[in-house]
Amino acid sequence: MLALINRILDWFKSLFWKEEMELTLVGLQYSGKTTFVNVIASGQFSEDMIPTVGFNMRKITKGNVTIKVWDIGGQPRFRSMWERYCRGVNAIVYMVDAADPDKIDASRNELHTLLDRPQLQGIPVLVLGNKRDLPHALDETGLIERLNLSVIKDREICCFSISCKEKDNIDITLQWLIAHSKSGVVR
Amino acid sequence: MNAFKRDKKEEEEGGGNPFQNIEKTTVLQEARTFNDTPLNPRKCAHILTKILYLLNQGEQLGTMEATEAFFAMTKLFQSRDVVLRRMVYLGIKELSSIAEDVIIVTSSLTKDMTGKEDLYRAAAIRALCSITDVSMLQAIERYMKQAIVDRNPAVSSAALVSSLHLTKIAGDMVKRWVNEAQEAVNSDSVMVQYHALGVLYHIRKSDRLAVTKLVAKLTRNSLKSPYAVCMLIRIACKLLEEEDSNGNSSPDSPLFEFIESCLRHKSEMVIYEAAHAIVNLRRTTSRELAPAVSVLQLFCSSPKPTLRFAAVRTLNKVAMSHPAAVTACNLDLENLITDSNRSIATLAITTLLKTGAESSVDRLMKQIASFVSEISDEFKIVVVQAIRALCLKFPRKHSVLMNFLSAMLRDEGGLEYKASIADTIITIIEENPEAKETGLAHLCEFIEDCEHTSLAVRILHLLGREGPRTRQPFRYIRFIYNRVILENAPVRAAAVAAMAQFGATCPDLLPNVQVLLARCQMDTDDEVRDRATYYHSILEKQNKALSNHYIVEGLQVSVPSLERALHQYTLNPTETAFDIKSVPLAAVTPADENANKMAANAGGMLITPALPGSKAAVAAATANTVTREETYLEKLRAVPELANLSISLFHSSDPVELTESETEYVVRCVKHCFPEHLVLQFDCTNTLNDQLLENVHVQLEAPDGYHIVRSVPCARLPFNETGSTYIVLQYPDELPASVGTFSATLKFLVKDCDPATGQPDSDEGYDDEYMLEDVEVTLADQVQKVSKTNFGSAWEEAASTHSELEDTYSLSTMGTLEEAVRNIINFLGLQPAERSDKVPEGKSSHTLYLAGVFRGGHEVLVRAKLALAEGVTMQLTVRSTDPDVAELVTSTIG
Repeated sequence: MLALINRILDWFKSLFWKEEMELTLVGLQYSGKTTFVNVIASGQFSEDMIPTVGFNMRKITKGNVTIKVWDIGGQPRFRSMWERYCRGVNAIVYMVDAADPDKIDASRNELHTLLDRPQLQGIPVLVLGNKRDLPHALDETGLIERLNLSVIKDREICCFSISCKEKDNIDITLQWLIAHSKSGVVR
Repeated sequence: MNAFKRDKKEEEEGGGNPFQNIEKTTVLQEARTFNDTPLNPRKCAHILTKILYLLNQGEQLGTMEATEAFFAMTKLFQSRDVVLRRMVYLGIKELSSIAEDVIIVTSSLTKDMTGKEDLYRAAAIRALCSITDVSMLQAIERYMKQAIVDRNPAVSSAALVSSLHLTKIAGDMVKRWVNEAQEAVNSDSVMVQYHALGVLYHIRKSDRLAVTKLVAKLTRNSLKSPYAVCMLIRIACKLLEEEDSNGNSSPDSPLFEFIESCLRHKSEMVIYEAAHAIVNLRRTTSRELAPAVSVLQLFCSSPKPTLRFAAVRTLNKVAMSHPAAVTACNLDLENLITDSNRSIATLAITTLLKTGAESSVDRLMKQIASFVSEISDEFKIVVVQAIRALCLKFPRKHSVLMNFLSAMLRDEGGLEYKASIADTIITIIEENPEAKETGLAHLCEFIEDCEHTSLAVRILHLLGREGPRTRQPFRYIRFIYNRVILENAPVRAAAVAAMAQFGATCPDLLPNVQVLLARCQMDTDDEVRDRATYYHSILEKQNKALSNHYIVEGLQVSVPSLERALHQYTLNPTETAFDIKSVPLAAVTPADENANKMAANAGGMLITPALPGSKAAVAAATANTVTREETYLEKLRAVPELANLSISLFHSSDPVELTESETEYVVRCVKHCFPEHLVLQFDCTNTLNDQLLENVHVQLEAPDGYHIVRSVPCARLPFNETGSTYIVLQYPDELPASVGTFSATLKFLVKDCDPATGQPDSDEGYDDEYMLEDVEVTLADQVQKVSKTNFGSAWEEAASTHSELEDTYSLSTMGTLEEAVRNIINFLGLQPAERSDKVPEGKSSHTLYLAGVFRGGHEVLVRAKLALAEGVTMQLTVRSTDPDVAELVTSTIG
């Protein structure tokens, strides 16, 4: 009974304080973007994923916030199209495979190329180092250093080390995201 | 009827089209709202409709514009509005060919096609196939296979139709879906069954045996879908036609039995298709035709206009090939003359014209005249064609028909309609000498008021050719000169050329023509002036030979080749003058050959031959203007080893089969004749799916005198592909030695391979060879046909300049003159002049005139006097600029 009343209450709240936010999820292929969307949407983790050809569009409701996620494929042929989907969003989430030292340089270059686009000026960026459950995965400081994040001064930027498999740090990531839905409205 | 008309008018005037005033730039501007949050689905759907409307009106979008609009549209995937999503699919399909990076929606569409919402799935499949390229196909193959066997018929149909589209870009992959398609053939849905059959046929169509099996199987367990049965009938017909052309037709083929059994099907569609198939099969005898015609006769009295139309249209066609069979329907056709549907009435009358007796012509013509102004151009053309057939059948009726045609010429009508009338009159003039003068008079009158430049030019050209040989040539000069005063530049130029013809052929008119040509030299247009000056100065010389060469005969070379040769010449300047003899001559394509090509072209996939005058036929006819030599030359120049051969290909033969058509390796040979070299092109096809052939070449035993310069092997020949290997030979110095027989053997390295993948099992292979039939190089391979409009004067002139040889032969194996004429033409490969290839009926002697050019530019003129007396006796006179050539011609006959 109490649960029912709570849900009705939530519904009323959502009527008045309903918020929408839009974010774009990019990063090199096989870094775990689609997995991340699945995890925050339904908490489900699957080892067996196919590469995203193009993009997936997902709507996720957390509390009174509806998050629209554009999950764009990370293969080289799609990278030139990232920018089109990043324009005007509340936040860009950049996914990095923290356990793959070979690709980290390529990842850094793509990130900086993307953020240099004038149309994307000022949009907050959240860098996620995925797969922290694997041995030798980089932690936050390692990522900041290797991705050279310290040079980015013109916008808000934040870096977390997460694991979609272990559901590690997913909660703080969500908090960060929801906190930025407001800033989007103000902007 | 009146009320209906008024309604229609009001509709046109009133509110009308809400999209009438939309503009591309504004709409594209509006498309930016697709990026807004929150989205307004109704508004977005409206904007999408506008974009689709513009595209369908033929508005062109640039790549940038299309890409912008496309990516904005992809943002609409966030909406769950069903209508909007389906509009997005349509938008994707329309923009897929213009915009860049369209594969971006692959993932989203795959999700929709496998999702729960049935309304999305079929449309998503269709959209997905329009954006997919070969590299992406692998990723969606699994989903396509599942979709083909989906329980939902719309999804299954969409997947099957998309597979058909995909065969264009990835035929091999679609072939792997054969099991799924097979399963779909058993579907209960009418459409799915039909589409599945289409896919199955498409996958197997290159394999005759597989198609035969497919048809045999499906004819036994009767298909549910009438569409599928119709398709099966068409496939069966195609098989029958192939059987016939291979010469192994059996009178009671099970295929034919199947088609005939379809005449008793319960669906009208199938009955019609079967009847249509039977009447169109070339093999059909009049006995087999009877049931089909009686079915069509039944349809003639059907209450459904579509059935009546289909029946009468088919009967109209049958009337051409089997007029006797249609006479049984004459009574029903008479009833259709007054049908309220004008199209049906027209076809009924024209059919009757074809089958009827001479006596009914006048009555029927009167009938047509009563409503000819009410029917569309397309049907007027049908009427014109009927009249044309009638003229050939009843030459005595030409005055009635000609009058009717000239009345039609004066009516309003489009170019195609007018052209068909003019064509008909021209045919009548050519076939029936009695009608010539009246016909020309009608055409003269027509060009007095003709708005179509191309037609006027054609008629002027005809007047120039035919006019000088009439009894009173001077009558035409006035009509022609009037054009010079009143018309636009192209017509004026044609008129000048026509007048020059009169000047060259009629000496008594020459002074007058010269006066008129002199006046034309003041024309404002360059071309007209140039022509007038050119003709005037030639005629001034009063040299018969000169005017014959440069006015009457005109340019004989192929224009595209001339252009290329001149271009080459200007690129590499030399001291020597340009030699026009090095340019290949224009191929002469007789009219009937043209018609055959049209029919062959219309054969396409499974479409029944198109009506003459349709777009495909027109395209085929225009494609003919590029000669066979041109197309071959392009191909030969692409082979690096052959590129440095002479730039001008003199003559190419028809392909000759060197193997039986159903052997392991199929080889055809094309003989290309260059001035100094002979290039043999062997097109080889590997029909063994477990073999990969490498280093394929032909070993040739050349007769004495020939010298093999080079052999170009085909490096790799996988299953079911055709590759070419070439041999370059130098002609012998002695002309008579150039005719001979080469024995040929195909040599190659075989690597066994896996039939499924085509990958060789190992790198090791073994040498093998295959005996081919002998290649014969004949006289006909070394000459090019030239058409002479005035053979007589050319012959006279050649008496002094050319060397002559004469010989008499007895052709004992020939039974008739026609047969002899046909054989001589084929043997010598020369062009008959002045219609001398048509032997008048009932004559026992005939003279055949032939003209051509031997390689190296030596002119060859041949006169063959034939007489029929226990076999055919021939007196052959050859005149040629080169005595050796003349000797070769006389020595090869016999």
